[in-house]
Amino acid sequence: MNIELLTLSEVVDVNGQAGNFTVTVRKNPRYIDMDKCIACGICAEKCPKLVKDDYNLGLSRRKAAYIQYGQTIPLKYAIDPETCIFIQKGKGKCLACEKFCPTGAINFKDREQIVTLNVGSVILSPGHKPFDPSVFDFYGYGRIPDVVTGMEYERMLSPGGPLHGHLEQPSNGKTPQNIAWLQCVGSRNTNKSDNGYCSSVCCMYAMKQALITETHIPGGGRQTIFFMDMRCHGKEFELYYNYAKDKNIQFMRARPHTIEAGPGGVGVKMLYSTEDGRKVEEQFDMAVLSIGLEAPRDALDLAEKTGIRLTPYRFAETGDFNPVASSKAGIYIGGSFMGPMNIPSAVAHASSAAACAAADLVSARGTLTRKKTYPPEADLAGQAPKIGVFVCSCGINIAQHVDVTALTEYAKTLPFVAYAENSLFSCSTDAQGMMGKIVKEKGLNRVVIAACSPRTHEPLFQDTLKELGINGYLVEMANIRNQNSWVHQKQPEKATQKAKDQVRMAVAKAGRIFPLAQMEVPVVPRAMVIGGGVTGMTAALKLGDQGYDTVLIEKSDRLGGNAWQLRTTARGEPVRPMLEALIAKVKGHRRIEVLTTARITSATGSVGNFTSDVEADGEVRTFSYGIAVLATGAAESVPVEYLYGQDDRVVTHLQFDRLIADDPDRTASLASAVFIQCVGSRDENRPYCSRLCCTHSVKAAVDLKTQKPDMAVFVLYRDMRTYGLNEDLYKKAREMGVLFIRYDLENKPQVSRDGDRLVVRVTDPVINRKIAIDTDLLVLAAAVVPNDVADLVSIYRCATNQDGFLNEAHPKLRPVDMAADGLFVAGIGGFPKPLEESISQAQAAASRASVILSRDVMYLDAIKSHVTEHCDGCAVCLDACPYQAISIIAYAENGRTAKKVETDKALCKGCGICQAACPKGGILVHGFTIDQLQAQVYAALDLPN
Amino acid sequence: MIQFRVGWLAGMLGVHRNTVGNWIKSGALAARPVAGKRYAIEKELFIRFLFSQGIEPKTVDQITGTSETLPPLKGKSQSKTLKVEKEVPMSDKIVGSVMVVGGGIASIQASLDLADAGYFVHLVEKRPGIGGRMSQLDKTFPTNDCAM
Repeated sequence: MNIELLTLSEVVDVNGQAGNFTVTVRKNPRYIDMDKCIACGICAEKCPKLVKDDYNLGLSRRKAAYIQYGQTIPLKYAIDPETCIFIQKGKGKCLACEKFCPTGAINFKDREQIVTLNVGSVILSPGHKPFDPSVFDFYGYGRIPDVVTGMEYERMLSPGGPLHGHLEQPSNGKTPQNIAWLQCVGSRNTNKSDNGYCSSVCCMYAMKQALITETHIPGGGRQTIFFMDMRCHGKEFELYYNYAKDKNIQFMRARPHTIEAGPGGVGVKMLYSTEDGRKVEEQFDMAVLSIGLEAPRDALDLAEKTGIRLTPYRFAETGDFNPVASSKAGIYIGGSFMGPMNIPSAVAHASSAAACAAADLVSARGTLTRKKTYPPEADLAGQAPKIGVFVCSCGINIAQHVDVTALTEYAKTLPFVAYAENSLFSCSTDAQGMMGKIVKEKGLNRVVIAACSPRTHEPLFQDTLKELGINGYLVEMANIRNQNSWVHQKQPEKATQKAKDQVRMAVAKAGRIFPLAQMEVPVVPRAMVIGGGVTGMTAALKLGDQGYDTVLIEKSDRLGGNAWQLRTTARGEPVRPMLEALIAKVKGHRRIEVLTTARITSATGSVGNFTSDVEADGEVRTFSYGIAVLATGAAESVPVEYLYGQDDRVVTHLQFDRLIADDPDRTASLASAVFIQCVGSRDENRPYCSRLCCTHSVKAAVDLKTQKPDMAVFVLYRDMRTYGLNEDLYKKAREMGVLFIRYDLENKPQVSRDGDRLVVRVTDPVINRKIAIDTDLLVLAAAVVPNDVADLVSIYRCATNQDGFLNEAHPKLRPVDMAADGLFVAGIGGFPKPLEESISQAQAAASRASVILSRDVMYLDAIKSHVTEHCDGCAVCLDACPYQAISIIAYAENGRTAKKVETDKALCKGCGICQAACPKGGILVHGFTIDQLQAQVYAALDLPN
Repeated sequence: MIQFRVGWLAGMLGVHRNTVGNWIKSGALAARPVAGKRYAIEKELFIRFLFSQGIEPKTVDQITGTSETLPPLKGKSQSKTLKVEKEVPMSDKIVGSVMVVGGGIASIQASLDLADAGYFVHLVEKRPGIGGRMSQLDKTFPTNDCAM
């Protein structure tokens, strides 16, 4: 309601300054009236013009009148002026869509409009462009049919794609058995593509495609990935890599130089050299080019209009210490416009941009937004059920396989049904209006919607009822699409019969549902931030800046955490001045209270209203707060190998940073230095990759070479994971003469002392020789280990993964939310990451938190457990409850003490396990009571209840 | 907060005073005018800007270290200067809405966060519908969930 979608629109001009911009936007004509279009699809059906479908990357064709994809938002068709026959050729031509449109939505008089917007902040998140590999003639893309891009392959695998998920070889339509992936196409390459950076996502998507492919091919087929370094630097990525290896995905360290067409134009011939120098020609059925990400095509244009600066790769320029701020105040960058990044990073980055955009506008918060209000609910007590059944055709989605007319007639015969009708799209705005009218006219008090999934559409229908003054929980849905028409496409008669069963069940339940009240929890507008490192401080600052009182808790006696030991970021910005400024800001902020040597000892309540005791300097204080950010951090592990602790020339990364900062003369006097990567990471004990060490080592190596160009610097690595724009640093290091030698887990470097000399022995796989390096300094890239959060885990009932890192609610879409509402995770306590990514997450957590803190009350879902008079306190449900929402209480009854259970409505998620566990109907879940479920079961079996 | 005069900063950086003027005009150097022909800027923003211009850390330290006391305030007390600073209008009124350019997953997330936190959002997308690249993906690892 508070988001206006301006589709088919482009920014023309941006003027003004932070807090008050005037933006000119051009809205291109859609030629279809969005208010009238009901997305029936008839215009596309009748349109005679077939064009390549860019959504499926040209693998299929669509009409000139089209929607991008079935679930597109807004679900309104558009006419493509580039290809429409009428628009191109003019008078007297075609107009088929106009003739057949049942609602008269086609409007060829539509013209472009110029809209002027007045906004306080601007967020630029135009995304990226997939690399076009046709510039590489040696890969034969566009010439050899069986060479496709990763993006095209994604569409080929998709059940919603042009092949409906049935994988086919483009040349002959057969199922491919032997597929090869080629990594770094258009990434880490300056020959013909100018993209020196690593696209960071391709290793993982290739692996995912290979694993999914296995399930698409009977027998599994054979999948081979040709790579330079496998970059699995994210949370659980390394596990996925190991899983792929276990699943027999072949990983081949080689970079094929040429792809030729196979015999008769079928399949491909891949030419490459193996690591030991053999030349190989290998046949595959298909080759997938793992194309990288580029800056969007209109990056320059956008930069010109908004006045922001771009990097040489045409990504938006941002600072390390505010990774979303563009070079212009008030304009922020979100997502992959800043540089290639994966989905969770982009989501966090975008939230982070939202936090900054909002912080500029605090004084105007709530001035332009509206809140929805509903009429008071009518009292339906004592009324007999009067049920209305609304059968949706979902365009043709349902109607094609289910006889909706017969279903509607059948519904009318069911008990308590006062009305039944069929509509094309029950969810469309006009159908909702009609529904409202009918409910009023016929005095209906229960509604059954036979359509799609309640997961996506129930809130909409609940809203319609609420607008009519009827309790939203008086709607019941029968999913005759996902659970019926989609799966029974070949048996229309049986599908119709099943739909009747489903509607009968829904009606039986609808007769027994009753109004439910949503619980209101007042929100305490205060935030608790746990951890006083850069992440915690940044989160606190953003929350404080948005006007929320914030308590910042640090367990040690000073703020700053690991950042005290860091010298510069990968791009060379010094950490210390930023850190000192940040600490000063946090300490001086009137909204932030800092507690050092503090720890949290308890937590009760839930989202919107937590209460905790905090012990600080031996004194216990109680705070109530609405949300908590867990920025608990991590530490560098203590290596147990390579003579660490036995020779003072062997140091860790953080020790090295201190050394070069405190005693630059000593580092400048070294004759040689060796870095060993993955010390304690990616092994049996810690199977994860620590993400930041490759870049850190390379940066350190470059710094040493800058100090003293003739120093011999070696980096011994397993896979060089300088992801994203850090790849430039790797390139620079090689150009400066840093030597990189790869080793395997089975063949680790050996470090020994030979008299006074420190010697590192390793096998170089390129020359296939053992070499010994005399070194003055050995720097170990020690793993990052999470701080112990066992006490917080038990206090907040949250969870960590097997490595001890705090878990997020969803690995892709909710990267800073935790599973328990009102808790957020940010920084390296969630997974190792460099400073700039931690800052991005901290700001993202502040943004997500302010969504809760900006409200006065939280409405909890009314589907909650409820204790009845049958409860005798046997406590079976106590252990069954996965949310610890049930407790047992004693009370006096007739002079005796009796026991029963009590549920905490705020913690209860309405999962229903307690109801299933209870042997005597002592606890039930509203909306799914035994009585209601029983009615459905009897109806399903067509038995009298 | 750091205050400076255009000529002084130009001298420190060895550029023409018009260059500094242009930086401020274009918004690259996000400083705002305050009393006494001076400009004020957040220290952090200022340091970032200097680094983006490729200024040596040493020089940056020198500039940021000295600018708080320089140029001399000529008899005016610190508190008085602050008072004057407040009287200069910061900008026109602050507008409680945000434009988000793009319709992909990042834009959607930013828009939802802002709209839910009390700011009106105008989302500008050049295609007829939102969803972006992620809508084209089949599944996402590591859970192999449907991307839709």
